Amino acid sequence: MSWWLAASVLFGALGMLFALGLPAAFAFFGINIVGAWFYLGEEAGLVQLIRNGIVSITSFALTPIPFFILMGEVLFHTGVAMKAIDAIDRMIWKVPGRLSVVAVVAGTVFSAISGSTIATTALLGSLLLPQMLARGYHPSMAMGPIMAIGGVDMLIPPSALTVLLGSLAGISISQLLIAGIVPGVLLSAAFVAYIVLRTSLDPASITILDDVSQTIKSSPPGSVIVMFRVSSKSWATSASQNSRVFC
Amino acid sequence: MKAYRLVLQASAWAAALLLGAIALLVTLDVVVRNLGLGTLAWVLEVSEYSLPVATLLVAPWLMHRNQHVRLDALLTSLPRGAARTLERCADVLGLAICAVFVVYGSRLVLDSARLGSMVVKTLAIPEWWQYALVPVCFSLLAIEFLRRLLARDEPARRAAGA
Repeated sequence: MSWWLAASVLFGALGMLFALGLPAAFAFFGINIVGAWFYLGEEAGLVQLIRNGIVSITSFALTPIPFFILMGEVLFHTGVAMKAIDAIDRMIWKVPGRLSVVAVVAGTVFSAISGSTIATTALLGSLLLPQMLARGYHPSMAMGPIMAIGGVDMLIPPSALTVLLGSLAGISISQLLIAGIVPGVLLSAAFVAYIVLRTSLDPASITILDDVSQTIKSSPPGSVIVMFRVSSKSWATSASQNSRVFC
Repeated sequence: MKAYRLVLQASAWAAALLLGAIALLVTLDVVVRNLGLGTLAWVLEVSEYSLPVATLLVAPWLMHRNQHVRLDALLTSLPRGAARTLERCADVLGLAICAVFVVYGSRLVLDSARLGSMVVKTLAIPEWWQYALVPVCFSLLAIEFLRRLLARDEPARRAAGA
């Protein structure tokens, strides 16, 4: 079987399994089973698949992944994260598209706190998105920055994905983590510039009167709920990231 | 049923405690090393072995709570009936995947135990210990896929994970 045929069959099958709603880890297991059967020699290949899977995650280089997530959890549960958002919210004023800018800056700060991209996105999404929509922000201007910040979180350490990449590619993980800082900051600066430019040139993209004096109200019960939601999500992330490593 | 849930919860707790203990041990190792008191070589090795163990222990509990990461973009855009059919296909495939891991995982454990292979690093352990949890945890995952397949109403399927 030529390589392009094998690649398209395996990636096609992976896409199909994802579309069916099979959990991501199992979709990867599925194509690994097919690959092992054809390329590693049928039944012996399947035994080898399990052996390789376990041996490949029995690696000290991967231990930062659960630790980074644990670190994020500690900061979210102690309430430091909420205080950080609050501080950033008070710091930024008189900027066009203020809440979008707050989302980008808060997301960048969180990137340095949490190793889990999904946890950061979920926290910002549940806290800032309803407020932006309620104040009449265009959905793309409200959701865009929150989703885009996931890309910054992947670059700025701690980052579980960077550890995974470094370990798979055999690159120095510490150097890779350090190397992510400048591109991450550049990326978020570019996001802020785009938001400010876009809203100054085309104020219709945000259809509101951005009330400067109004800061985010994060009453204690609300923040507790947000934190619990984030914690359950990041738990899921941690486990599935681990399961993905398994492949 | 209650006992079964207890098993899932106990394994998730075990995974959490294991990761917590490893976090403390690695920190201790860093402190000891920086104080020039030598190194605790076994800590690195125990933390390596605990990564697959924690992953395997927590997977069935996550499946029970429907918290494994999955794409539902297609499922949510389809009519209810069609989405349900697709989900059932996914459950059957998941069950088959788990069955493969249970069968070949057991074979791997038995073969390795029969040959008496050892893994010798700082610690020397029988090789089959590394793989022993694979058939056990994938059996629990298979039960979970079966449970989803047989569940009649949506709420049961979407349990706590929504």
